[in-house]
Amino acid sequence: MTPVLAVAEKSIKSATANKINIFLMVKKKIILTGITASPGNAFGKVRIVKTSGEILKIKKEEIVVAPFLTPEAVVLLRKNRKIKGIITDRGGSTSHAAILAREFGIPYIAGTGTASKKLKNNTAVNLDGGTGTVYEV
Amino acid sequence: MKYKKIESIKKIKKYGLPFPETIFIFDFKKQEEAIDRFLKNREYVAIRTDSAKNTDFLPYNLRCHKKKAKKTIKKFNDEGYAVILHEQNHIPSGVINKNHISGNIVILEKCWIIELMRGEPLSSLTRKGEISEYLKIRKNNLTEVAHWGKRIISRDILDKILRMIRKIPKHKVIEFTFRPEGFYFWQIREDKTAKKLDK
Repeated sequence: MTPVLAVAEKSIKSATANKINIFLMVKKKIILTGITASPGNAFGKVRIVKTSGEILKIKKEEIVVAPFLTPEAVVLLRKNRKIKGIITDRGGSTSHAAILAREFGIPYIAGTGTASKKLKNNTAVNLDGGTGTVYEV
Repeated sequence: MKYKKIESIKKIKKYGLPFPETIFIFDFKKQEEAIDRFLKNREYVAIRTDSAKNTDFLPYNLRCHKKKAKKTIKKFNDEGYAVILHEQNHIPSGVINKNHISGNIVILEKCWIIELMRGEPLSSLTRKGEISEYLKIRKNNLTEVAHWGKRIISRDILDKILRMIRKIPKHKVIEFTFRPEGFYFWQIREDKTAKKLDK
């Protein structure tokens, strides 16, 4: 390898390492914690859902944030497979919504208390359903 | 025909857990006498339903006066539901009795997950997400590995419940209520998705 290529490779490696470090640093900024309702990781933009009908309108792959998912909303979850993740203020791992999220493999954090007030539409978040943690990205 | 909820109530009997006096009604006409006997000397009953086709969001009336009970049972039967008729000796809705604690216990391979709420009915937790306390306890040494919310149950009572359910196999959910007069177990239901919580 020529010295020029070696330097280039080194700088690429360094830049990649920096990006990873930056990502990890940002990833570690916890916004919310809650109960593991369905494990798994998801990354996406927040979509605040106030009525169950809004679930059907989700076209992009987004993370649904709601006070809670009512039985009506749970039924709609079956119809919209675009949902990447779920965060709710109330609920736990034994609610109907949690069982359905696990069935569909959708990461879900319940019982965050304030997610629907604290998070805003289009905020990018990283959801770790395994630990019940929401990170800002 | 397989009625999941009715089967899950029968499992409570199998594991020797206390549960409210209950009868199952599949045919109102044929079982009218049994219904009359059940309603005798009772003021209120709890009426739940089961269906072989649909297991989600079944209709119920958890505090039904005996005068309206037969009409309600017939209506549910006519709509194609099997009826679960429970004894009812308390007020399950409208008033939160702080001495009553209801909850679900998820049995995992190495742990129990316990989710609790004050008062009854337990459907407030399952359907409305009204959860007050969440605990994860290791089965082998009863160590608490995770906790969320306010502590609403004493460790003595919780340990007693956990001892009662020790023999029940994994990936099932047990629904219960603790009242000062004792424990009531409502059903033991299958939850195949619970194994995802083992990871």
